[in-house]
Amino acid sequence: MKEKGAKLEYIGVDDNGELLLDQLDSYLETGKVKLVAFSQMSNVLGTITNTEEIINKCKKSGVKTLIDGAQSVPHMKVDLEKLDCDFFAFSAHKMLGPTGVGVLWVRKNVLETMDPFHGGGDMIREVHKYETTWNDLPYKFEAGTPSIADVIGFGAAIDYITTIGMDTIRNHEIDLTKYALEKMSQVKGITIYGVKDVLKRGGVISFNFHDVHPHDVATIVDREGISIRSGHHCAQVLMERLEVAATNRASFYIYNTKEDVDKLIKSLEKVAELYKL
Amino acid sequence: MSDPIYTEIIIDEAKNAHNVGTIENPDISQHDANPMCGDDITLQMRINNNEISDIKWHGDGCTICKACTSVLTQMVKGQNIEFAKNLKKEEILSELGLQHLIKQSPVRIKCALLSLKALKLGLYSYLAKKIENSSSVDSLKEDASKLY
Repeated sequence: MKEKGAKLEYIGVDDNGELLLDQLDSYLETGKVKLVAFSQMSNVLGTITNTEEIINKCKKSGVKTLIDGAQSVPHMKVDLEKLDCDFFAFSAHKMLGPTGVGVLWVRKNVLETMDPFHGGGDMIREVHKYETTWNDLPYKFEAGTPSIADVIGFGAAIDYITTIGMDTIRNHEIDLTKYALEKMSQVKGITIYGVKDVLKRGGVISFNFHDVHPHDVATIVDREGISIRSGHHCAQVLMERLEVAATNRASFYIYNTKEDVDKLIKSLEKVAELYKL
Repeated sequence: MSDPIYTEIIIDEAKNAHNVGTIENPDISQHDANPMCGDDITLQMRINNNEISDIKWHGDGCTICKACTSVLTQMVKGQNIEFAKNLKKEEILSELGLQHLIKQSPVRIKCALLSLKALKLGLYSYLAKKIENSSSVDSLKEDASKLY
């Protein structure tokens, strides 16, 4: 960014973690925006971004869009044709696939204007002493020996979850999240972050329990058989906005049940017992 | 069965941590943090005649981090630098019965040893400034980097 002289600006969020899209309008009005990048679903709060609205606004201003779909793609139906964004990324390890492999989808007419970022086999068409030409898309961007086994594994994961059905997965998570939000909000000393409307959020619930550090909460509930994530979730800027050092995050997928939610709540009682809360 | 980490001793030690605060114009002030989990502490020391005459700490961290920092400050306060230089991680951990973290919890061991790392690095900076041949204290820096 420094090299290109680019400047990074942020669109803020309200207290529920929803993007303040008025700020996007102000940025777009300056005529200086080149790229708008955002997550379709927050990995911390589960907030589902109004993706269509942002893309439409950007398109009207001739601004390119990059979407992080690592959280949305495994949990809901995403139609790239309909979205009509320019860049879209998602990762296998968040959708039952292998680690270290993912997808960066780029609109073809945008890709055609881009130079390779990586050299190696397959990405060249002709090599001469002083001149090289690039291969066609997508080979131009797929240098060297690919991670073949991981890509095949990723394909199997995609087949598996699409067989279950993205709507089935989404509905299952809506049910679980609704149940969990209802039950968890009754726990004494709990603070739950994010929007309350389950239709506007995915299957993750970030929370804090009294003033017990999330790492301590996570370690204790882990021993009760419940795995949750704790920490800043690689979202330090959002932690700052929420005025917390870290949060606990329970996340659901197709294999989770309401009994798991009950078990989580029961394990929080263990935390309360140890800390005499 | 009682919890292997969250014993009453540890939780009490963290809740009522010792030597919390700041020292004005300290001889050593060392900040360190575990970026992945957010433990973030500053250790400050006053040195008189090669002795750690006062030590205070402040910051934010989990129960393990706070309890271990509290214990560490009590162990080195009033001791000479040589004692602090040679302090081993096992000595801190055993004070709180946390030796099992070394093998069983590579993640939480960082919380437990952050203050020892800060102590070693702080002493290194202090001693390296005082003597011309800093290589004689290089082992401290090495010690600190090998803690976890």
